[in-house]
Amino acid sequence: MTVVGAPVAGQVVALGDVPDPVFAEGMVGPGLAINPERRRGAAVSPVDGRIAKLHPHAYVVVDADGHGVLVHLGIDTVELKGEGFTLLAADGDEVRAGQPVVSWDPAAVEAAGRSPVCPVVALDAASESLGDLLGPGSVDAGDRLFTWT
Amino acid sequence: MAERRVTTGPGVGLHARPAAVFVQAATKASVPVRIAKSGGKPVNARSILAVLSLDVRGGEEVVLTAEGDGAEEALDALAALVEAGADKT
Repeated sequence: MTVVGAPVAGQVVALGDVPDPVFAEGMVGPGLAINPERRRGAAVSPVDGRIAKLHPHAYVVVDADGHGVLVHLGIDTVELKGEGFTLLAADGDEVRAGQPVVSWDPAAVEAAGRSPVCPVVALDAASESLGDLLGPGSVDAGDRLFTWT
Repeated sequence: MAERRVTTGPGVGLHARPAAVFVQAATKASVPVRIAKSGGKPVNARSILAVLSLDVRGGEEVVLTAEGDGAEEALDALAALVEAGADKT
């Protein structure tokens, strides 16, 4: 079983409330999202695993079970071309859950006209395989968001 | 084996949103499809993890392959999607 932790501190929101239809409809996969606290900080790895792909605005970490979790730092943030994001790890790195991966500022993303909401998505997962999904409320980075079997 | 070489449309490449659109189309295809970067290792086009890990950028060439009945038609449809920029459709 994979325990998926919150990559950032903030408020848990349902994936269906993410302001992007492809995420909201679960096309990328099932999961949750976090409306982050508006202060610069580090987004952390949601699981123990290997960074399969690292971008300034998004990363995928794959654990020992082969479960890949996508963390997307804000919506349409690929268009920011990395500005305001600092990589704290590298492609292929082995990371622990809670280890900082990218430093960013949700307030700056919002000031640039984009939603800083962070989808946390189980890739290639059936929605039935996720359990213990947190309801709306506050989380700290590293808190358990859901389990994946 | 059927094959198509296509250049991804202008834009960000197969990032989360266009990759999801592409993978969903590949999942609906009648035959399994594989996608590779030019000269690279092919991966399952129905896996969002595999496609995101491939990290296809806008303007980059990819190779789509499939076998079996309906392979040509499936590749035509997916190639058109990639060329257009999957999220622009």
